[in-house]
Amino acid sequence: MTQPTSPILDTLEPDGPRPRVVTRQAGDRSVLVEYGEVEFDLTLNFFALAAHAALAEAKPAGVIESAPGFRALLINYDPYATSPARLADALNEIHTGIDPSAGMRIPSRLIEMPIAFDDEQTRVAIERYINTVRDDAPNCEGGNNIDYIVRYNGLDDREQVYESLLATEHWTGFLGFFPGLPFTFPLDPREVLFAPKYNPTRTWTAEGALGIGGPCWAIYNVESAGGYQIIGRTVPIYDPQERNEVFRGGGMLLRASDRLHYRRVEEDELLHLFDEVHADRYRYPIEEGDFDVGEYLAWLPSVEDEARAHLERCEAAAAVAPLA
Amino acid sequence: MSNGTLNVIDGGLETTVQDYPGRPGKLAQGYFPSGAMDHFGLRAANLLVGNGLGDAALEVTLGAVKFALTRDATIAVTGAEAPLQVDGDEIAMWTTHRVPAGAEIAIGVAPGPGFRQYLAVGGTIDVPELFGSRSTYTMGALGGHEGRPVKAGDELPLGEDNDADAGRRLAESVRPSYARDWDIEAVRGPQATPDFLTEKGMQTLFGRWWPVDRNSNRTGIRLESHKFDWARTTGGVAGGHPSNILDNPYAVGSININGDLPVILATDGPTAGGFVVAATVAHGAFWKVGQLRPVGDRIQFREVTVDEAIEIDTELSELLTEASVETS
Repeated sequence: MTQPTSPILDTLEPDGPRPRVVTRQAGDRSVLVEYGEVEFDLTLNFFALAAHAALAEAKPAGVIESAPGFRALLINYDPYATSPARLADALNEIHTGIDPSAGMRIPSRLIEMPIAFDDEQTRVAIERYINTVRDDAPNCEGGNNIDYIVRYNGLDDREQVYESLLATEHWTGFLGFFPGLPFTFPLDPREVLFAPKYNPTRTWTAEGALGIGGPCWAIYNVESAGGYQIIGRTVPIYDPQERNEVFRGGGMLLRASDRLHYRRVEEDELLHLFDEVHADRYRYPIEEGDFDVGEYLAWLPSVEDEARAHLERCEAAAAVAPLA
Repeated sequence: MSNGTLNVIDGGLETTVQDYPGRPGKLAQGYFPSGAMDHFGLRAANLLVGNGLGDAALEVTLGAVKFALTRDATIAVTGAEAPLQVDGDEIAMWTTHRVPAGAEIAIGVAPGPGFRQYLAVGGTIDVPELFGSRSTYTMGALGGHEGRPVKAGDELPLGEDNDADAGRRLAESVRPSYARDWDIEAVRGPQATPDFLTEKGMQTLFGRWWPVDRNSNRTGIRLESHKFDWARTTGGVAGGHPSNILDNPYAVGSININGDLPVILATDGPTAGGFVVAATVAHGAFWKVGQLRPVGDRIQFREVTVDEAIEIDTELSELLTEASVETS
């Protein structure tokens, strides 16, 4: 019988601004690299994006591709062209070569996204879950997930959830789940909310639904299963038929490192915008630009106290809230 | 010049164009590779009809499909045992047949064990490539034939007839055996002992029989909820449940623990998410995932090392050569 072994292949201890790097075996042809500790720290994402770019540049033997996560990088490799040990060595070289303190400017577009809160399709998805998957989930009490987010973060009412979302720009940390689906994170730490994921997951979610899991907001780009707490819907971000000019050349609106900001609309207007998008009349408001990491890191301390107080309030509420 | 078409008379439950290994290389944009769920069945069918092993063929779910060719062609059907007929005459699976233009090819319902069949045509199914693959990505509505399962009236373009011989059989000894209870080899991790699950938790995963849920398809195989023994009490900022992590990318075959529910991520699955992956199905064993039958089938995961997993894959690939083909 096979003796159990640890999946951890290699650990690089933190060094100055470089976070801890843990490389884990993920099956017989992938490794998963994790950066830093389990905390909501966007600099870990900046590091993961830098490692993803450096790996694509270095092209070590046997590497097929890599994909970033929030604080992770998955590498798929050809097991007949390299070995886990050789790959770990190549990754060490790449990770020690990244200087996260350098004044990084990342190309980053700012995109306005209309959103309708607590719309009918979002309520239908939750109702379907209650009727067919689980009828006693605390996160679905009252036929919506918003009241649960209020409770889990110690807020007063639903409006505070909406205000939090609208008050900050959201950083696209990576794409995943389905093609072009953005995992986004509030850039203002005073506006970060948290939520556990569904248990078990939903079997259906409407296109355009906006959901929160952990500190991450994601837009469901196709009708699909899902595990995030959903609060409303925004416009299409993916269309393989490329019915709007924004989708030409691959069907995707968003890229990693794009920033989103939301504009509140009524449900009627959102449904109208869906039609306008598909008729190629809607023009997505997109501002080209750069994101200055150094400037952002210099700004963070000015809101640190408020952010910490906010985080403590959220944690205290989460500690007494029922799990999803 | 046209090379003829394979016309769909009845597309059944879910019949899609698939190849192997699908379209790796697009993970960072959110594409899982798609491709055959049972990569052995697809490659065996292609071997028999003289195609490249990874060429495009039809993946049939359960059976109950009918087709007709507009030119003479060599075909082979592999996978889950089901009645196979050409113009009403029973013919053998795992064997090449020369089928005349206009004849009706019918695959009946597979009674089980096994869930999918592969119909390869000499010269391949020549639908357009998307990012280097002809595979259908069902959830993304991309690739294959118009990004969807085929249906009655579809005309699937064929490549040039390669005049492969009839009567080529895959040796019985080489054919996989299907069952209702499956042993599926898996490698521990990435998120297992010591920091996510206890050894007791891992033995829950490796130690019991897991029934296959009805909500299983090309995106994933759902098992059943069960309490695991976690090495931590919470997922922290990622969410209160210890199965929650800050979202990261997944590998195909990840055994993902969604709260208390394990799900095997399949070839059309989600590329990233916020749940622990306790173990990963060995690539060489993934073909069995493609033959799991929702409701009734059960799985036992058997832990293997990375080296053992590669050996399984190597041995499987070694079967897919001319040495395994008998001729009459």
